[in-house]
Amino acid sequence: MSGRAVRAIAPALAGTGGARARRALAFWARRPGLVASVLLIATVLTAAVAPGLFTSQDPLTGVPADRLLAPSADHLFGTDQLGRDLFTRTVHGAAESLRATALAVGLGLVVGSAFGLVAGAFGGLVDDALMRVADVLLSIPALLLSLTVVTALGFGTVNVAIAVGVTSVASFARIMRAEVIRVRDVGYVEAAYASGVRRPTVLLRHVLPNASGPVLVFAAVEFGTVLLAVSALSFLGYGAQPPEPEWGALVSDGRDYLATAWWLTTLPGLTIAATVLAANRVARALEAEETQDREPLP
Amino acid sequence: MARRRLALPAVLLFAAGALAATGCGASESGAGGGTPEAGGELTFALASDPGCVDPQQQGNNDAIYPARQLVDSLTDEDPETGDIVPWLAESWEVSEDARSFTFHIRDDATFSDGTPVDAEAVRANFDSIVELGARAALGSSYLAGYEGTTVDDTHTATVTFAEPNGQFLRATTTFSLGLLAEATTSLPPEERCTDNIVGSGPFVLDEYRPNEVVVETRREDYAWGSSLWRHEGPAYLERLTFEVIPESGVRTGALRSGQVDAIGGVAPQDEAGLDDGGFTVQSRVNPGLPFGLTANISRPAVSDQAVRRAVLLAIDRQEVVDTVLSPSFRPATSTLAHTTDTYLDLSAELTHDTAEAERLLDEAGWRPGPDGVRVKDGEPLTLTVLWAENFGPNENALQLIQQQLRAIGVDLTLRSTSIAEFTALREEGDFDYTWGNATRTDPDILRTQFSAGLVNVARLPDGSPLEEALQAQNAVADPEARAEHSAAAQRLVLEEAYSVPVFELTTVLGIADHVHDLDFEASSRIQLHDTWVS
Repeated sequence: MSGRAVRAIAPALAGTGGARARRALAFWARRPGLVASVLLIATVLTAAVAPGLFTSQDPLTGVPADRLLAPSADHLFGTDQLGRDLFTRTVHGAAESLRATALAVGLGLVVGSAFGLVAGAFGGLVDDALMRVADVLLSIPALLLSLTVVTALGFGTVNVAIAVGVTSVASFARIMRAEVIRVRDVGYVEAAYASGVRRPTVLLRHVLPNASGPVLVFAAVEFGTVLLAVSALSFLGYGAQPPEPEWGALVSDGRDYLATAWWLTTLPGLTIAATVLAANRVARALEAEETQDREPLP
Repeated sequence: MARRRLALPAVLLFAAGALAATGCGASESGAGGGTPEAGGELTFALASDPGCVDPQQQGNNDAIYPARQLVDSLTDEDPETGDIVPWLAESWEVSEDARSFTFHIRDDATFSDGTPVDAEAVRANFDSIVELGARAALGSSYLAGYEGTTVDDTHTATVTFAEPNGQFLRATTTFSLGLLAEATTSLPPEERCTDNIVGSGPFVLDEYRPNEVVVETRREDYAWGSSLWRHEGPAYLERLTFEVIPESGVRTGALRSGQVDAIGGVAPQDEAGLDDGGFTVQSRVNPGLPFGLTANISRPAVSDQAVRRAVLLAIDRQEVVDTVLSPSFRPATSTLAHTTDTYLDLSAELTHDTAEAERLLDEAGWRPGPDGVRVKDGEPLTLTVLWAENFGPNENALQLIQQQLRAIGVDLTLRSTSIAEFTALREEGDFDYTWGNATRTDPDILRTQFSAGLVNVARLPDGSPLEEALQAQNAVADPEARAEHSAAAQRLVLEEAYSVPVFELTTVLGIADHVHDLDFEASSRIQLHDTWVS
């Protein structure tokens, strides 16, 4: 996420040498919230890839005698009802939650884009049929649709990801279709046809790359929403099975202890909230860049 | 807390749900709080929606609490001694071969629609329960092999069975065989769930709004209570309201703020707070099978007795009780909970001995693998346990057991399911262990659970020594002979480690101080006839 942010934002800072660096510095200095968000996202991603950097404790095995200890230097987030270190579980939970989020966004992106590309490129009946399906999908509340799908598929992180991913297919399809329609009749596409390139090749080589910008930005915007949806399903018990930690499940496990051990729900809950907010902040920055960047069509 | 609505064997397994009396040293609520006063109301918070208020169709505690108040049974059971005492039946005779049971019914009892409780009503009820079949899972299993009821005279009925049925007399103490008027028994089962329940009990159903509330009012002319009760005549309370409050924290809050007078399913972590805060925590161990792991011996890994024994020895029951439960609970000390009739203390068999467990696994060829999980012929020792959240602390208990088993190199995988799907998944058999319990005061619960022809949770073959002991205990009426066979069965289950009992389910209620004499009956469900408020 952070890498992409930098890459997307860099072209806006055109210039050379020292001037470029100064402008970059000024850009970031004016946006402390964005800096914090990028740092937070980077930290969460690092935790997901290498949890060992943050904690050396075992997320699955606790010390029953040390149960329900309040946050302290030894246990930053306190311990849970079985004496497991909650900070360790939150760190290890990042991998599980982000994997599901990435998979769900990826699914929406790939399947939705394919639908949109086909609908936009072929038009006519194909377009009508695919877009009516998308309309139907959009008319069902997202959470309800996810619940239905995950109930049919069964429990587990991957199933939760699929269930959440399915709900965003229609939105991706719509955006991709609009972009494809914008691009499909421009000169270079017609030129490609005229020089004898076959339709699938034109779509993949010329239309798709030029239509994908807004779709990729939308994927970034979706990231926060999807993380929230994944956590919601995991909260309801559809996600990883115990004792695997997952953010939503951590919040859910702690809610019977609200009166006696506030940290069990509060700290993982704040972690989710902070990550979602940071993801949204970064996505907004990307969106702004993408709008500014868009060059007029030839 | 989960909802509890189930099909046949699940009803048995889940009959315990989450609730409680004394027996393990907890205090009797508000006992001796002065002279009982008639009048007043009681609001009780249930942990889940009853789903159906017909006592004959229900098996989970939250449905039984309101349903129990609507019906009377032929007999009652003394929670202290296990003796069967008169209720609607003034006396009874059991034939030597335990095949026929004659009940002499008192002549003054009536249903709330005015029709008499007589021998004809007994016949109509038992006939209709058999007809309900799986809809009346508990009742129809008690009546298995039912040949019919003959009406000897207006107030004498004889029930006969094709096979000896030693457990039947104690079954007549249950709500499942509580008597309903013809106005109810003649209706199809669906119409008897929210309305139309006409019984002879001390309370009459006013209203049931699913997921909200059950309201009952006192029957003013009631005069045929159980011989165990503290007083004769109508109940003290004028009105009962059972509110459905699923979150345990919210239930506790409702009790603290005075919105309700008593709650069921007190979460272990809330108990201490209630005790200190001027409320009574009242508990009683549920009789029947304690919560534990039951092996599916049709699976290769657990078909080996050594593996099952190792699991039995690796579990530290005391640690489970100390960590995830409360002082109201106790570790299991036998195949049956200690409040069950014919219970035999086998705590010497249920020790925690990881060294012996590891030795057994080593001998059986399970060698420590690279990641700590034992391996044999390239297969890791990974065991799956199927469980449902019919009791709040289940998940924590299983996670702790998972840790304890990992210490000897056994990888336990938890497979959770909804209560509704539990029975169907259990029939598929795609697991090594199931986690559950079953509440009943009679040791015949062992036969119901383990006999090859019945639920058979362990998937035992026909003709095993356990099967013989189980059949034998039901084939005699003599209590001593039954106790002997039941003891043999309890021992066999542990020797073979078909089932690994962990802790005894305890019903825990939180009660405000102005509520007195809220009693548990023998199966640890509540009886509100004697309850009064000041």
